[in-house]
Amino acid sequence: MWQASSAESDGLVAAGGVPQATAPGEGAATTGSPRPSVSPAIHTLGLHKRYRRTVAVKSLSVSVGRGEIFGFLGPNGAGKTTVIKMLLGLVKPTAGEAMVLGAPVGDRRTRRRIGYLPEMFRFQPWLTAAEVLRLHCRLLELPRPSWEQSISESLETVGLAERAGDRVAGFSKGMQQRLGLGVALLGGPALVFLDEPTSALDPVGRHHVRQITRDLRERGVTVFLNTHLLAEAEQLCDRVAVLDKGAVVASGSLSELLGRHSRVRLKLSAAPAGWTTGLSAFGAWRTEGEWTTVEGVDPDAIADLVNLIVAGGGRVEAVIPEHQNLEERFLELLQEK
Amino acid sequence: MIYRIRTIAALTIREAARRRLLAALVGITVAMVGLSAWGFDRLAHGGALTSGESTLALPQSLILFMFMFSFVVALSASAIASPSVASEIESGVLMTVVTRPIRRGEVIIGKWLGLAALLAGYAAAVSVLEMGVVDWVSGYLPPNPVLTTVYLFAEGLLLLTLALLLSTRMSTLAAGVVGIALFGAAWLAGVVGFLGTTFGIGALRTIGRISRVVLPTDGLWHGAIYYLEPPSLLRAHSLGQNENPFFTRSPPSWVYLAWVGVWFVAVLGAAILSFDRREI
Repeated sequence: MWQASSAESDGLVAAGGVPQATAPGEGAATTGSPRPSVSPAIHTLGLHKRYRRTVAVKSLSVSVGRGEIFGFLGPNGAGKTTVIKMLLGLVKPTAGEAMVLGAPVGDRRTRRRIGYLPEMFRFQPWLTAAEVLRLHCRLLELPRPSWEQSISESLETVGLAERAGDRVAGFSKGMQQRLGLGVALLGGPALVFLDEPTSALDPVGRHHVRQITRDLRERGVTVFLNTHLLAEAEQLCDRVAVLDKGAVVASGSLSELLGRHSRVRLKLSAAPAGWTTGLSAFGAWRTEGEWTTVEGVDPDAIADLVNLIVAGGGRVEAVIPEHQNLEERFLELLQEK
Repeated sequence: MIYRIRTIAALTIREAARRRLLAALVGITVAMVGLSAWGFDRLAHGGALTSGESTLALPQSLILFMFMFSFVVALSASAIASPSVASEIESGVLMTVVTRPIRRGEVIIGKWLGLAALLAGYAAAVSVLEMGVVDWVSGYLPPNPVLTTVYLFAEGLLLLTLALLLSTRMSTLAAGVVGIALFGAAWLAGVVGFLGTTFGIGALRTIGRISRVVLPTDGLWHGAIYYLEPPSLLRAHSLGQNENPFFTRSPPSWVYLAWVGVWFVAVLGAAILSFDRREI
């Protein structure tokens, strides 16, 4: 069976790492007698996609636990959408394997429990919003008596209740995105893929979508969020992976990703000659007037840093630790690479 | 499975109705039928032809008009089938559909059935209107209007199936253009075959035969012609007249019709397989 506890406690295994994966046959067996609480929501091993000479995704191994919001970050063209498409069976991997909700990718029955909001998409412009949702109720094979309630709840959730009878052709891009989210939430999915879900929305719409995403987590739904809006990931995600040129360059919880890369600002009222000796061991530093900034300090080493300055005869009036934000860390990761 | 196929078929039909495709086609068709009614009226009651000439001119004119409608049916089939998959992939419409618990083959069969129903409706409407109007103004009705309609529909369905296959791999425009070009080439190959038979040129005759096997639209058109031909016309051509684009001596053989059945299954199967392997 799945090494679920290991996968969930260990969290994401970055590209190149080897999680304690199961044999494909074991995963397949879970579809016959499902143990949904045991298997991770998503588990990939060496997932690889090549388009002729271009490698879109390089040997991706990740594990996403049930009920978490997992952020997939990366610049445009990093391969984020390709990963989602492979997990949904829209694109066939060149190598590797993936399990979604304990079943092999593309399993028809499992697709009932998956919602998907694509990045670039359109609904049938000649249908009304309610008809689009009704079509998806049919495709999901939901019990007919539940359709109307599901449709009105979905429209209500995404703020389109008053536009239920309007044709999609007249919808703005943002409204289509809202409708797309409503469609993705139909039928109470266990896993939702959101590919740049707020790219066409105004600030109010973004706030609304973030609230919906948090509500999903509260209901135990796993959310796989592709985004290049780092503030969005910072606000929503339990864990993230940063993808660049098809490869994961960093992964973990936000505190793991940012916590070990603090910045410290120090105010020194007395600084004897040579006090900076040894400062470089803590990180890159610069001085502006009374203030000295040391970048990339390990939070556990801040006390040692202060001790070093004091031992050298310095007088420290203020110590201000500052955490790096995701955007700074993101850019740093891409530059490092 | 039936439920899911029916869902896609109903969606396809509803799309045609909502986009006013049917209304546009019906409008054009009514105008053409009106024009033909005027022409047949002149032919039957204009006084320029003897009764003997009329018995030959009316069926031959009807064959020409039905030939024009066979083109309209075939071109419409290609026009409605070529965007059915390609444009939905391009616009992203299909992404939200195929990620639902539906097999890709069910999407293709559903679309094929929906489009086939539309085409059947159009072929039937065209045949009833045209032959009905000709009967009304001239009193002439071909020997088997029903089988004529069936062959007309089958010819269109053949091109529809081919365009659907092309649509799984090509852009909307390319699929439409290639489908129509192949249809035109098959008809032209039929003419080449006729010339080969007439002038005893074996190679040209072979081209005509091969084209009827590869793309049987021309063979099916000749099936429609046969059931438009009254005995008087067949007798008039009994002095060694070869088949030509507007005349045939006999209906398609059962072997040929069986091959057409195999062709349908093979091309539709290829469309399913192609779409199943297509990355979206």
